[in-house]
Amino acid sequence: MNRFEPKIIAFLCNWCSYVAADAAGVARLTQLPNVRVIRVNCSGMVDPGYVVKAFANGADGVLIGGCHPGDCHYISGNIKTLRRSFLLKSLLKEVGVEDGRFRLEWIAASEGPRYAKVVNEMVEEIRNLGPYVPLSRRPAKGAA
Amino acid sequence: MPKKKLAVYTANGCRVCENSILDVHFQVSPFTPWADVGFWPYLTGSQWQDLDGDHRFDLCLFAGAVRTVDDRSAALRLREKSRLMLAVGACSAFGGMPGLLNLNGAADKADLVVPEKSAEPALPRTESRVSALSDIVAVDYVVPGCPPPKNLLWAAIQALICPGECTSRISYSASRLPDPISQSVASGILPPRGSTFAGEKAVCASCSRVKEEKKFTSVLRPYEIDPDPGRCLLEQGILCQGVATREGCGGLCTAAGAPCRGCFGKAEAVFDPGAKMISAISSTFDSTEAAEIKTMSQGFVDLAGTLYRYTMPAQCVLLAGPAEDEIHAGDVV
Repeated sequence: MNRFEPKIIAFLCNWCSYVAADAAGVARLTQLPNVRVIRVNCSGMVDPGYVVKAFANGADGVLIGGCHPGDCHYISGNIKTLRRSFLLKSLLKEVGVEDGRFRLEWIAASEGPRYAKVVNEMVEEIRNLGPYVPLSRRPAKGAA
Repeated sequence: MPKKKLAVYTANGCRVCENSILDVHFQVSPFTPWADVGFWPYLTGSQWQDLDGDHRFDLCLFAGAVRTVDDRSAALRLREKSRLMLAVGACSAFGGMPGLLNLNGAADKADLVVPEKSAEPALPRTESRVSALSDIVAVDYVVPGCPPPKNLLWAAIQALICPGECTSRISYSASRLPDPISQSVASGILPPRGSTFAGEKAVCASCSRVKEEKKFTSVLRPYEIDPDPGRCLLEQGILCQGVATREGCGGLCTAAGAPCRGCFGKAEAVFDPGAKMISAISSTFDSTEAAEIKTMSQGFVDLAGTLYRYTMPAQCVLLAGPAEDEIHAGDVV
């Protein structure tokens, strides 16, 4: 049987996480190839709508990578992301996107190994969850 | 000039939209020379048999969501008989409150089956999901709202029914309607198909309250606060959905101190109303500490039911649209 290969969209900030991803590649760290990276100027520009759209278009997981709090190139963009993340997580859960499919991680430019670790962890976690199936295509709760 | 013929019908809904149509009484007298009601079960006791034969309608005002197989066949039948189809109210336009049933996944088709022995009439079979009218048939125009305000309903009826010389036109000022709609109300030339009889921007644009800097410390349910008159409700900690909602109501609820509940559906530029509201609310949290922000976020209950209260079947991006294999759910059991 074929193994399920999750599709993960990663929004990485230009100043920290994207550089970390680059560094992880240059350092030839082993990373699972399930992540599609989208470079953004700041994690603060990742509107909750982008995350919703990724899931609606077939992503099995979404990762947002930003600078550690206090390190943001734009002073407080990552705090904006942080503020949104909790409500977004609860909303996603309510409309049928399980915990674990959406992650917000702080990854500094020097943390290549951490980027590789986060990616590998996330892929394994989502592999266990299985493909994302919209609520409208699942059998009803409590149905026989 | 022959009179136009109207059909009015409510599928799965509370019929307040029909009452709202009756509420345009202030304009009914100039309207009567131009149209006759041919089918209106609620008001005139019309039966489905009345549609047999060669009846055609110029305009069908269809309210209510589509939940049962009967609702679906009503939508198909009226669409076939009518030249123009107008979705009236949030249920018909976006699925409305009955649409929250879709949170339960593909609902069990057997959930409402009545035991064989029960008395007639039998309940119609429910479909696997609640749909907006536009998921079932082509919809020409939309009047949103729960119920639609009578001025917008009147604008729609007037634009779609009355010929150019109708005297009632001068009584309506289409101040904040998009150009094609206000031109249509004024001239009698039909607006582009698919138009919505409402504004384009968000409710905030026509809300009378003063908006200053938004800072949330904790969320309040409406019963927990007597809001300051004149100040933005969102700034006072009440979850008001004006930011993500289409204007056209003129900020009726917010003017009365009640937060916007989103019955006009999403504003033109919004991708997903829930995601937009998440962004709007949480960016105002007055904290930079993860733990504090988490506590504030936990004060919100039932986000999906609140943010998609009227729009789940049509506008919640993650739940919208019929699943491909369900389009003919009615005939596959």
